[in-house]
Amino acid sequence: MRKPIHLTFPPPTLEEFEKHYRISKARKKELLAMVEEFKATLSNQDETPVDLIEPEKRRKSASAA
Amino acid sequence: MPPLPDPNSVFLNVPYDEEFRSLYIAYIVGLCQLGFVPHLASEIPGGDRRLNKIIKLIQSCRYSIHDLSRIELSTTPSAVPRFNMPLELGMTITWANLHPSRHTWFVWESEPYRLLRSASDLNGTDPYIHNGTPEGILRELCNAFGRGFMPSVPKMLENYQWVNHFLEAMLYKHGTRNPYDRSVFMELCYISKLLADLTRLSGPAS
Repeated sequence: MRKPIHLTFPPPTLEEFEKHYRISKARKKELLAMVEEFKATLSNQDETPVDLIEPEKRRKSASAA
Repeated sequence: MPPLPDPNSVFLNVPYDEEFRSLYIAYIVGLCQLGFVPHLASEIPGGDRRLNKIIKLIQSCRYSIHDLSRIELSTTPSAVPRFNMPLELGMTITWANLHPSRHTWFVWESEPYRLLRSASDLNGTDPYIHNGTPEGILRELCNAFGRGFMPSVPKMLENYQWVNHFLEAMLYKHGTRNPYDRSVFMELCYISKLLADLTRLSGPAS
């Protein structure tokens, strides 16, 4: 059985990560806003878009109702 | 001699076709979840000889993943085999053999044992088999790499679904239908990283 490569160094911070890609500040703000919206949706599961709910979860919630 | 590679950078050698789209996104999401910085040949701007820039990009990455699961002929009328991926794998193997401490490469396939027929010279190389599914990609990434913080595959799959959801807005913004487009690739990486950090902050793997 092959073993995974164990990484001992830390993952990059967002600032380090950003240096690899050219994205404008304005666009980064827009993308961040999309993720903020995602966070808000997570905190209110009822608003999760239907197409993102796995079929199994949907079945379970339907049977619970 | 090129500078030392970034220990978190991974060069992704994948086919740029519509059928591969979901797996491509799974690679980006999975790598970002595991704390990597994905790189793709398409992020290289035009100008000098492209091959030289691809070599430089490979040399700047500590790891590379070469997905050889699409070995079929292209579906265009004058069907031709795709040589870019084996070419980039060959260049990578040469570089890694010259400097083993600087680069580690992996071969990925969707079907077990097929690699023995498609590239028999790679006999002895144990490919990661993803079964052609995003879940398989995420599972095999967790089998290939380990970090202190490891998100669960279902959690990664959840983020994959969200990135897929965001992709349409990115394509629209850049006036393209091509998810491999340089700008779209960079934004996919960025948003995957934001989601990965969010997952990490939200606590242990669920």
